[in-house]
Amino acid sequence: MRIIAGEEINALLNTYPRNAMYTLAVMQDMQRQFGYVPREGLDALSGHLERPLSELYAIATFYKALSLTPRGKHIIKVCDGTVCHIRAGTNVLDGIYRALGIGPGEMTDDGEFSLELVNCLGACALAPVMVVDGTYYGKIAPESLHEVFDAIRAEGVID
Amino acid sequence: MIVTIDGKEVSCERGEYLLDIATRAGIRIASLCHHEGLQGQGCCRLCTVEVETGRGDTGRGEGAQSGSFSDKKPRREIVAACIYPVEAECVVYTDSERVRRNRGILLALLRASAPASEEIAELCREFGAPDGARYEVQSGDGKCILCGLCAKACQTLGTGAISSVGRGTAKKISTPYDEPATVCVGCGSCAAVCPTGAIEVAEDGDERTIWNKTLTLTRCSRCGAVTGTAFEHYRASVHAGTEPPDLCPDCRRKAMTDTMAKTFGV
Repeated sequence: MRIIAGEEINALLNTYPRNAMYTLAVMQDMQRQFGYVPREGLDALSGHLERPLSELYAIATFYKALSLTPRGKHIIKVCDGTVCHIRAGTNVLDGIYRALGIGPGEMTDDGEFSLELVNCLGACALAPVMVVDGTYYGKIAPESLHEVFDAIRAEGVID
Repeated sequence: MIVTIDGKEVSCERGEYLLDIATRAGIRIASLCHHEGLQGQGCCRLCTVEVETGRGDTGRGEGAQSGSFSDKKPRREIVAACIYPVEAECVVYTDSERVRRNRGILLALLRASAPASEEIAELCREFGAPDGARYEVQSGDGKCILCGLCAKACQTLGTGAISSVGRGTAKKISTPYDEPATVCVGCGSCAAVCPTGAIEVAEDGDERTIWNKTLTLTRCSRCGAVTGTAFEHYRASVHAGTEPPDLCPDCRRKAMTDTMAKTFGV
């Protein structure tokens, strides 16, 4: 896991005025830059805005887009909406566990992949569906997952 | 301005909250999340009452169409008394059939989510709450109804050590990262305002334990009553330059009276 330097956090904070209205914007920047909202980041933000840490923690735990634990380079979102559920979306989860050894909310040891279970991706015709870094993979055959992940690993980050 | 609450005429100012008016008039309305010092929570909804407006006696000069008011039907609506500011003269029912039914359901649901709270059980007995499978009391020792009064008290009086954490069914009140909060001064405001006794405070000798943090208590040098925590006084001295109190409020008053009596030779 990458160690986040205090200077990096300070540089990020200093791009924003000391105003509570930028709280969420700073957190989103942290999420983008570090892959999660680090504890050091919240502490520094609390000092920067002169707001209690508890208030920032409440915001950080409320939004699903923010994560308090490191997330991998590639985010895998597996749909567990009604249609995907009926079309055996749980088999996709099993397939990912066999391929990468992670369950929902977990990250691979090498920091490459994170897995999230989401409610509906709005692509029910493709069920069961998963999204990796914004790319949709429909009608997944769990046994093909190995190849998909190997290809993504080889390509690097798609931004 | 006059509002009629349960047949009793009470005078009030425009914009005053209904619950405050009723309390002043000695009319009891059930409530949990209301605290006179921390207004505007409005989340337990127990202070639900029925308000009837537009009876025609608050005319605003639509003179040309005389009788237009009598054509208008009075409006009856359910509101939360604690956050309902009185804007016009109205008639309030705190125990109508509709209020009783709504309040009963609210109480039954609160009881199901906080089965260990004696305060809620007592309110259920006093105001009546329906039974049935829908309101089946869940197992567990929950007392918290997530009204957020404690977090508000901490932000207002204390140091903002606690807040709501997470969301949906996993939402709870806690300190950041569930660790003993470094900023908590142990003033106990959160526990004092909690309507359901959900926050645990333990005092043992010269120590108070709250939110998994143990603090040293300070005592009145005369009677030995607790005057706060050492950390609380330390922070007050750093931020406001106050001296730690030597006496409790009672003894301080007594000392003052003694001085006065001596001065005037009583």
